Amino acid sequence: MRRISAHADEPLGLLLRLGSVRWGLLVAALLLMAIGLATVHSASSELAVDYLPRQAAWIGVGLLVMLVVFSIDYQLLIAFAWPLYGLSLVSLVLVLVVGHEAGGARSWLGVAGFGGQPAEFAKLATVLVLASYLAEANRKVLSIPQTVLASVITLGPMVLIALESDLGSAAMFVPLAGGMLAVSGLRGRVVVAGLLVVALVGGLVWSFAMQDYQKQRVRSFVSPESDPLGAGYQLKQSKIAVGSGELLGRGYMQGTQSQLRFLPARHTDFVMAVLAEEWGFVGVAVVLFLYAIYFLNGAEIAMRARDRAGVLLVVGLLSAFGFHVLYNTSMVIGLVPITGIPLPLLSYGGSFMIANLIAVGLILGVDFRRHVNR
Amino acid sequence: MRKVREHYSEIVARVPRLQLGFVAALVLIAASYWVVQVAHGERYRELAEHNSLRKRVIKAPRGLIYDRTGAPLVENVPSYNLLLHPSRSRDLEASRSFVEGILGPTPESLEAQWTSPAGVVMVAEDLTLEEVAKLEARSLEYPEFEIEVSHVRLYRHGAHTAHLVGYLGEASEPRIESSEGSLRRGDQVGIVGLEAAYDEVLRGTRGERRVVVDHRGRVKREHGRTPARPGEELPLEIDLAIQQVVARYLEDRVGAVVALDPRDGAVRAMVSSPSYDPNVFARRLDPRSWQAIVKAPHDPLQNRTVQNTYSPGSVFKIVVATAALSESVTHPGESVYCGGAAYFYNHRYRCWKRQGHGNVNMREAIKESCDIYFYTMGQRLGIDRIADYSRRFGLGRPTGIEIAGEKAGLVPDDAWSREARGTPWYVGETISVAIGQGPLLVTPLQMAAMMAIVANGGWTVEPHLVRGEAERHRVELDPHQLERVREALWAVVNEQGTGASARLEEVEIAGKTATVQVVEQVTWIDSEDLPYERRDHAWFASFAPVDAPELVVVSFVEHGGRGSQAAAPLAKLVYETYFGTR
Repeated sequence: MRRISAHADEPLGLLLRLGSVRWGLLVAALLLMAIGLATVHSASSELAVDYLPRQAAWIGVGLLVMLVVFSIDYQLLIAFAWPLYGLSLVSLVLVLVVGHEAGGARSWLGVAGFGGQPAEFAKLATVLVLASYLAEANRKVLSIPQTVLASVITLGPMVLIALESDLGSAAMFVPLAGGMLAVSGLRGRVVVAGLLVVALVGGLVWSFAMQDYQKQRVRSFVSPESDPLGAGYQLKQSKIAVGSGELLGRGYMQGTQSQLRFLPARHTDFVMAVLAEEWGFVGVAVVLFLYAIYFLNGAEIAMRARDRAGVLLVVGLLSAFGFHVLYNTSMVIGLVPITGIPLPLLSYGGSFMIANLIAVGLILGVDFRRHVNR
Repeated sequence: MRKVREHYSEIVARVPRLQLGFVAALVLIAASYWVVQVAHGERYRELAEHNSLRKRVIKAPRGLIYDRTGAPLVENVPSYNLLLHPSRSRDLEASRSFVEGILGPTPESLEAQWTSPAGVVMVAEDLTLEEVAKLEARSLEYPEFEIEVSHVRLYRHGAHTAHLVGYLGEASEPRIESSEGSLRRGDQVGIVGLEAAYDEVLRGTRGERRVVVDHRGRVKREHGRTPARPGEELPLEIDLAIQQVVARYLEDRVGAVVALDPRDGAVRAMVSSPSYDPNVFARRLDPRSWQAIVKAPHDPLQNRTVQNTYSPGSVFKIVVATAALSESVTHPGESVYCGGAAYFYNHRYRCWKRQGHGNVNMREAIKESCDIYFYTMGQRLGIDRIADYSRRFGLGRPTGIEIAGEKAGLVPDDAWSREARGTPWYVGETISVAIGQGPLLVTPLQMAAMMAIVANGGWTVEPHLVRGEAERHRVELDPHQLERVREALWAVVNEQGTGASARLEEVEIAGKTATVQVVEQVTWIDSEDLPYERRDHAWFASFAPVDAPELVVVSFVEHGGRGSQAAAPLAKLVYETYFGTR
C-alpha cells in the first residue's frame, strides 16, 4: 500500500490532492457550457422565452450537484449501486404509469414542481451497477455467464425506457454497456454473438416496437426526399444551417436558418447546427476539440483510477457521454438517422445537464481519490 | 485490500482503445463538417438565402393625365383588398366566418373563392378603413389573410371625360405574352381611350423589393430594393372647362362634339353622349353593372366622335362649293334659280325650303343652305371630282388621332360603287351627295379636321389630344376660293343665315348648319313632329374668330332636329366658354 499524500483531514494535504486532479476535464466542460449558453440564447432569440436564464439556472444547480457528488466517495455509491439501480427501475415504471407526454415520448416525471427525466438517472444508476458488478467479476476476460448477466442488467432499464417510446435514450445504453464490457474484456465469439443479438433485436424493434414517426425518421434518413415536410424537412434545414456557416460562420445571432426559425429544435437537439451556422467550421472544430479534451482527460483519469470499479465507472460515463457527442454531431449533418439525442453540455435541457454534471463530479471524484487505500 | 488489484492492469490497458476510437470518430465527423461547410458551403449558403429571401413586386404608380391647365383628369387613390392564402389557413370555414363577421356574407357569385380556392384569392376589395382596422386587429390569429394596398384609378370627372381617357382592365393572356415580361397576370392595362393608347407610357416599370421572411413566410425586414419607375404624366390639349360645359349640355341628348385649334390640331374638347362612369371599371366588375352599361340605350361605350359615321348633310356644301369654284364650274357672280324643287336626271329633288330661295349665287346658297344650287353644282362636277375634293379635305380616311377605333368614313365614287356594290355609279346619287346625303359618311372628328382646313386657309392638321409638336401640311386647295367660302360661312352666322342662333356679339363666328334626313321624306314635314328615331340629325360646323381662327367647333346631335336649333346653340356655348364672354 502506497501513501504518497497526506490524509484528507490535513488542509495542506487536501490542497495538494486537489491540485493533482485533472482539471482539464472540468475546464473543457465549463467552456462547452459557456458556448452552449451563448448558442442557446441565440437559438431562442425568436422564441417567446429566452432559454439562456433557465439554462444558466440548470447549470448552477448542476454545478452544485456536481460538488456534492465530487465530495462523496464513489466507493460509497458503488456500495449503494444496487439500491440506486432498483430505485431507478421503480421510477421508470412510475413514469410508464403516471408520466405525462412530452415531445411524443412519455418520459418526464413531474417531481416537486420541476420535470426530471428518470431515464438520465437510470443511465447513471446502470453505470454504477455495472461498475460494481464488473469490478467484482475480477477476471482477465469476462466469462459468458458474466457477460449475459451484465447484458440483462443493462436491458432492464433499457426496455422500460423503450416502452416509453424513447428509443433514442434506450439505444444510448448500448454504447454505455458496450464500453464497459469492452474494457472488462470480451471473448471474440461473445462480440460476434452480441452483434448478432443487437441486429436481431433491431429488426424486431423495427417490426413491432417502433412508432410510425420513428420509422419515418429512419426512412427519411435513407431517402430524405421521401418526407420533405417532416423528418426530411428537419434534416434539410439542419444541413442548410450547417453548410451555410461555411468556414467562418455568419456571425453570432446572424444565422438566418435559426434566427428566422427555419430550423426546428434548434435550442435542444440541433444546437450544433445553430453553432455551425453562426460560427462556421471554425466554431465546430473548437467544440469538437473541447469534447476531445474532455474525453481524453477522462480516459487518463480512468487509467489512473484507484481500482477496477473506478476505472469501469469512468469508462461507463465516458462511453455514454462520448456516444452522445458522436451521435448528435453526426445526426445534425445527416450521417445517422435523427432521433432525440441531445448534445451533452450544449443542448438546452435540465435533467440532461444535471446528469452530465453528475458525471463530471463522479469522474473528478474518482481522480481525487485515486491514491487512497489502493 | 481484497483481490481488487489482480486484474487491474488488463482493463486499464484497454482504455486507450476507447480514446483512439473516440478521437478517430471525432476526426471523421470533423471531416464531414468540413465537406458540408467548406467544400459545399457556398451551395448551402445559397439555399439558406433562397429559404429566407423573397422578391416582392413594387407596382409602379401609373402616370396621371392632366388637361391643358394642369387640372387632373385621373388620379390614383389607395384601395385596400383582402387576400386569402388558403395554404396558411388551418380551417377555411373558420377563416370564412371570421371574414364574413366583419364584411358580411359573401355574394353568391364569389362562392367559389371559398369552396375551391386556387392560389392566392382576392376575397374582397375596396375595404373601408374601418374594415381594415378590424381585420388588422386580429391578423395574428388569422395569418392566412393579407391586406394588400393597391392603387385604383379615380376618374375625377367620370362620365364627362370617359371616352377620352378610357379605363383600365386586367391584362389579357395574349397581351401578357406579347409584353415580353413587362406584364404579369393580374396587372391592369388600358383597355380603351388614352389609357390604352398611352398604356406603356403611363404604366411605368415595376420595381422589386427583396425581403427576408421567416419560416412562415412573414416578412422580417427588407434586404434591398429596386425602385419602381413611375409612369409618365400625360398633359393633354383638352380644356376641361369646355369639355364639361359640352358634356353637361349633352347629358340628356345623344350626340358628339369636337373642338380643336385649327392652327395645330390640338383638341380642346371631345365629348360623346351618352357616356358612362369609368370608375365602375376600376373595381371588380359584377356582371350586373356590366350588363347595365352594355344594354343601356344608345350604347354609351361608343365614342361617337370617332367610332360613328353619319351623313354630313349640308356641312358638305363647303366641299362642293370649294370644288365648284376651284374647278370653275361656276363663278361667284352666277345665280341659280331655286323654286323649292327641281328636276335632275328626270328626278324631282326638293329644296329644304318649300317656297324656294329664288335666284341665289354661291354666297347666298351657302348662307341659306339652298339645296337646288348645290344639286346643280353637283351635277356639273360629277361624283369623281366631288370625291377628289372630299379627300383633299381629309374625308374617307382616319384623322390619326391617338385613340383607337377611329372610323375612316366613306367617300363614294364610281370605283367604290363598282367594288362595293358591283354596279356603276348611279348619277342620280351625285345629286344627293352634293348636299351631303347618299352613301357619303363622316365622323364628327373628320368634320372638325375639315373645318380646320377651311379656317386656316388650306393646311391639314393632325387632331391630337396629348400635348406635343404637331406637323401641318399644305393642302391642294386654292386659298382664294377657301377665303370666299369662309366669307360665306361668316354670313351664315352673322347675316341672318341658318346659323344665326350661334351669333356672338364679341367674337365673329363662321359656320355651317346641317339637318340630315334620317329617312327619305316625300313631303316637307317638320322633323319635330316625327318619332325620335326618325327625326333629323343636327350639325353645326364652325370656327372663330373668323379673321384669325383659334377654335373649330363641330357639334352634332343625333335626332336633334334642325342644325340651326339643336346644334348651333351648343357651339355658341363652347365659344362663350372659350372666349370667356359669359
